[in-house]
Amino acid sequence: MLEIKNLHVKLADENREILKGLSLTVKPGEVHAIMGPNGSGKSTLSYVLAGREGYEVTEGSVTYNGADVLAMDPNTRAAKGLFLAFQYPIEIPGVQTMQFLKVALNAQRKARGEKELSIPEFLRFVKERAAKLNISQDMLKRPVNVGFSGGEKKRAEILQMAVLEPSLCILDETDSGLDIDALKVVAEGVNALRSPERAMIVITHYQRLLDHIVPDVVHVLSVGRIVKTGGKELALELEKNGYADYAEKAA
Amino acid sequence: MSTALQLTSAEQALGISLPNRRMEDWRWTDLRARLAKSLRIGAPSPSASKIDAFLKCSPIASMKCKRVVFVNGKLDKSRSDTKSLVFSEVAPNEMIDDPVIELNMKISQTRFSLVFEGNVSEVVEIIHVGIGNETAFGSRIHYEVARNSSAFVVETFVGEGSYLNSSVISATVHDNARLDRLKLELESPDSQHLAHAIYWLGKGSQLNDVSVTIGSSLTRQNGTCNFLGQNAEAKISGAYLLKGKQHADTCLVINHAVPNCTSRELFKCVMDDNARGIFQGKVVVAKHAQKTDGKQSSHALLLSESAEFDAKPELEIYADDVVCGHGATAGDLNHDHLFYLKSRGIPEAEAKSLLIAAFVGEAFDMVANDEVREALAGIAAQWVTGK
Repeated sequence: MLEIKNLHVKLADENREILKGLSLTVKPGEVHAIMGPNGSGKSTLSYVLAGREGYEVTEGSVTYNGADVLAMDPNTRAAKGLFLAFQYPIEIPGVQTMQFLKVALNAQRKARGEKELSIPEFLRFVKERAAKLNISQDMLKRPVNVGFSGGEKKRAEILQMAVLEPSLCILDETDSGLDIDALKVVAEGVNALRSPERAMIVITHYQRLLDHIVPDVVHVLSVGRIVKTGGKELALELEKNGYADYAEKAA
Repeated sequence: MSTALQLTSAEQALGISLPNRRMEDWRWTDLRARLAKSLRIGAPSPSASKIDAFLKCSPIASMKCKRVVFVNGKLDKSRSDTKSLVFSEVAPNEMIDDPVIELNMKISQTRFSLVFEGNVSEVVEIIHVGIGNETAFGSRIHYEVARNSSAFVVETFVGEGSYLNSSVISATVHDNARLDRLKLELESPDSQHLAHAIYWLGKGSQLNDVSVTIGSSLTRQNGTCNFLGQNAEAKISGAYLLKGKQHADTCLVINHAVPNCTSRELFKCVMDDNARGIFQGKVVVAKHAQKTDGKQSSHALLLSESAEFDAKPELEIYADDVVCGHGATAGDLNHDHLFYLKSRGIPEAEAKSLLIAAFVGEAFDMVANDEVREALAGIAAQWVTGK
């Protein structure tokens, strides 16, 4: 499904390499956790996959179902099924959340040659999913993420995911800034989306999230490269011993 | 160096001398240089079918409201709901020294006053149709909103040709009354639009003025807002959607002559191509006008490298217990916003149009009528996609 080979990435306006030969293969239905210390390149990986400007791929490739991801616009990637849940969701004043969801869903459907949803169909579709995430109608009327609390922003990201039904979800530190109750709601939302066709990459600093979203594979990212891969027990080990071992190895 | 400037053809035709860039308020809009060389005052009336076609161009044409129609500056009674409105064909003279008013007095074809008594919930739309080339015309309209009364007026400007239209309005909003006014400037792309709005606000009154500037090659709109009684509130907002070589200049003066009044100015200006937008806002607080609360802000969204925005805020405060402030920003579309929208599958063009509509939407939100606001959102969407 997703195939990352020897990916080297540097910041476009600085001569600093962040990812230094990262390789990763994700198959349908799998949940991969990527753990690593601050500055190891976790967020860079998620942004490069989503297509944010400011990064330059100097070597390597990323393919998704055989297609070259790096050659696509961010919107094309989204229409092909890639979704990034942002660590810091962006506030967009003046654009109502409901309208945003509708424009996004219909744009994706259009790009895939599917029929746009009628307004009543769409409203029902969103309301069902919003209710499961404790998202009120009032929140849907507010501008995208504007004035949302940290927890509301993360729930709103998961709602977008539930509405857009991507085939590959990348969750970038979705647990950051969440208390334990909010974390549970978000994790339940994510787990409800687990399916044999859908893959997930869960990027996190802490093991805590992985108690709730149990991964099939855990990778340790350090200084721009995956330095160890294991089962879910690897996360527990990291929790106990910290990242010190890996930081030294990479250096 | 010559001291007396020779009169231009336009000045000869209009019988006045026009302001030029050496005058502080006109430094960005050199009317003398910009007005067409040849201008005739007044224009023949266009065909009935043409007038009717333009009346349909109003974005709120399908809305139920009372209508007053002006064609080339003249009141068209046959197309107006004059029977159900209290009006007269006179208007006061304004003793304000302003070239726009001076010009209007020379070329306006009609003087017209509307009186509002009681709470008039139905919108009154005044549609100005301009059709003609190298002609100059105008209208002078006065609104009188009686004590404890309210009114909602929409002025819509549409047309075709290279005419010059001058619109001067004044309004007296009596004690505890409220006036909502929306000016929709959708004039012909080849036209020039010169306007002035003068307000006299009584005790405890409210003014909610919104202007939307989309049409005409040159727009200059002046505003003068005078507080006559305490505890009055004035909200003056505006939006520009400009492209090509369009030029729009708003020049406002708020006179806080009495204590305890509030003024808010908010302008959201979008400029593409080589368009140029200007906002000049002056707030004068008299010595005894304590507890004045005045805020002014202008924000520009520049969609091209060659678009330009100039802002000139001026505060003249003689009282010592006031809250007054101003702010101005200019920038292009926020890249993080664009990326976020695109990352959800929204193509770039559509993402941009959402963000542009959201930007001017802040000014449209000031309009206190859902149906009219929706019509405005429609115009913004049309402007973005029609680029």
